Amino acid sequence: MTSEAEKILIVDDDRDFVEALSSFLEAHHYVVLKAHDGREGLRLAKLERPDLIIMDIIMNERTEGFFTVQEIRRTVELKTVPIFVLSSLYSQVTDFGIPPDSSWLAHDEFLPKPVNMPELLEKIQRRMEERHRNLETAVGRKAAT
Amino acid sequence: MSEPAEQETIVVIDDDYAMRLSCRKILSKMGFRVEAFEDGGQGLEGVTKLKPSLVLVDLKMPGISGMEVVTRIHEVRPEIVLVVITGYPTIDTAVGAMKCGAYDFLPKPFSPDELRLIVNRGLEHRRLSLEMRRSEMERALLKRRFITFVSHQLQTPLVAIHQYLDVLKHLDNTESATAKRQEWLERCLKRTDELQAIIKDWLSLARIEGESFSRQWIKVDLQRIIADILRTYEEMAATNAVSLESRIPENTYFVRGDRDCLSVVFDNLIVNAIKYNKPGGKVTVSGEDLGGEVAIAVADTGVGIPEKYHPLLFEEFFRVEGEGDKKTPGTGLGLSICRRLVSEMGGSISVDSEVNVGSTFRVRLLEYRAPAEEEEKKGSSG
Repeated sequence: MTSEAEKILIVDDDRDFVEALSSFLEAHHYVVLKAHDGREGLRLAKLERPDLIIMDIIMNERTEGFFTVQEIRRTVELKTVPIFVLSSLYSQVTDFGIPPDSSWLAHDEFLPKPVNMPELLEKIQRRMEERHRNLETAVGRKAAT
Repeated sequence: MSEPAEQETIVVIDDDYAMRLSCRKILSKMGFRVEAFEDGGQGLEGVTKLKPSLVLVDLKMPGISGMEVVTRIHEVRPEIVLVVITGYPTIDTAVGAMKCGAYDFLPKPFSPDELRLIVNRGLEHRRLSLEMRRSEMERALLKRRFITFVSHQLQTPLVAIHQYLDVLKHLDNTESATAKRQEWLERCLKRTDELQAIIKDWLSLARIEGESFSRQWIKVDLQRIIADILRTYEEMAATNAVSLESRIPENTYFVRGDRDCLSVVFDNLIVNAIKYNKPGGKVTVSGEDLGGEVAIAVADTGVGIPEKYHPLLFEEFFRVEGEGDKKTPGTGLGLSICRRLVSEMGGSISVDSEVNVGSTFRVRLLEYRAPAEEEEKKGSSG
């Protein structure tokens, strides 16, 4: 167990969605950071270095989420932070000129909206454990040398 | 922009050396790249490689016939304009060549002017058909996008409601949970209202677009419609600290239209005028007789709309972006519905707006003239 609670950043322009999801995650002892557009999301990501990011794709009638993910990945410290992208148009993102299975997309999971909360929780927990394991091995390797 | 257009290629396929030479000379002078071939086989190969805009084909050649060449090129590349050269200009050969995909034919002997004319006409035809294909594809894409946007608009409030209900299910009975429950239920109700507004707008849009839209225009007194709408929004205006005023007298402005359509139009405009107003602001509805037309103005003293957005205001899903928390809920369809309905009734809609001063939406409608009145006029003048 880590001493500090893990931080999750939610970026979504629908305030109600953010409210519902964050109260669910807070009930599971995560610290939730909230942003309502790509720019604020990027700022918070750089400032707070969250342990995981949940990002809506279509914000303000544009595919702002995708571009925000790309921007986040350009920051060295955020290269490996797990990013989950969400959309209610899960199967129709191609209409915005973006193939959903593109390898250039820098996210880790693509989840449909509405979000299945237990499933999301499980995915988050799995990612967090992975992250800890990686950190531990990195620390272990450092100690060994 | 006057970028030099890419040089267009023309292929000439003719077994007659003199013909190839003269065609090359005339067409090169017109600025085209010209490649000539002496039989059908080489010609087809050349066309595959060069992808020309236009091909001149002699019908009577040894080996592969001109007709065969036309058929094969048309099958693979229908966008290439095919002109047939023929020494025996009969209706039958012309019809035959056209059936195989030729655009036109040129009877031998022909003058340089005749050649230039037919080539220019053929290339113009190609430009037009390429343009048409492009705009057809664009329209199809727009339509698909439109449907995607609508479903996203419908899904957004549904997702929020779903997510709230899902979390509500797991709330316990502590005091803070009870407060949250109440707040979230309120939010859910608000979002169902939003959903209903979108569906209402979407339906009226679909109805206008549908072919079934054929109405009988009748005489409508605008005073009643506007008074009804203002009454409906009294409470909303009071909440926003906005005062409403109608300067439309009774029995004054009669227009030719449909009561429901007119209600939708002025409902949208008046709600916008309240929503985008400032506390202490005003909404004024006034009329003007333009002789044959009636202009109704819905004016507010609100935030106004930057001029750069004016041309886009009546487009579907266009919304002027508010700053941060100032976002006002809306579907982005209201004004496009207004424009369509008004133009269906033979009128027009325009906007005048200044940031921080306010906006005035002006609707021009056709004045109602009774058939009896017309008859009377005819009778008295005849």
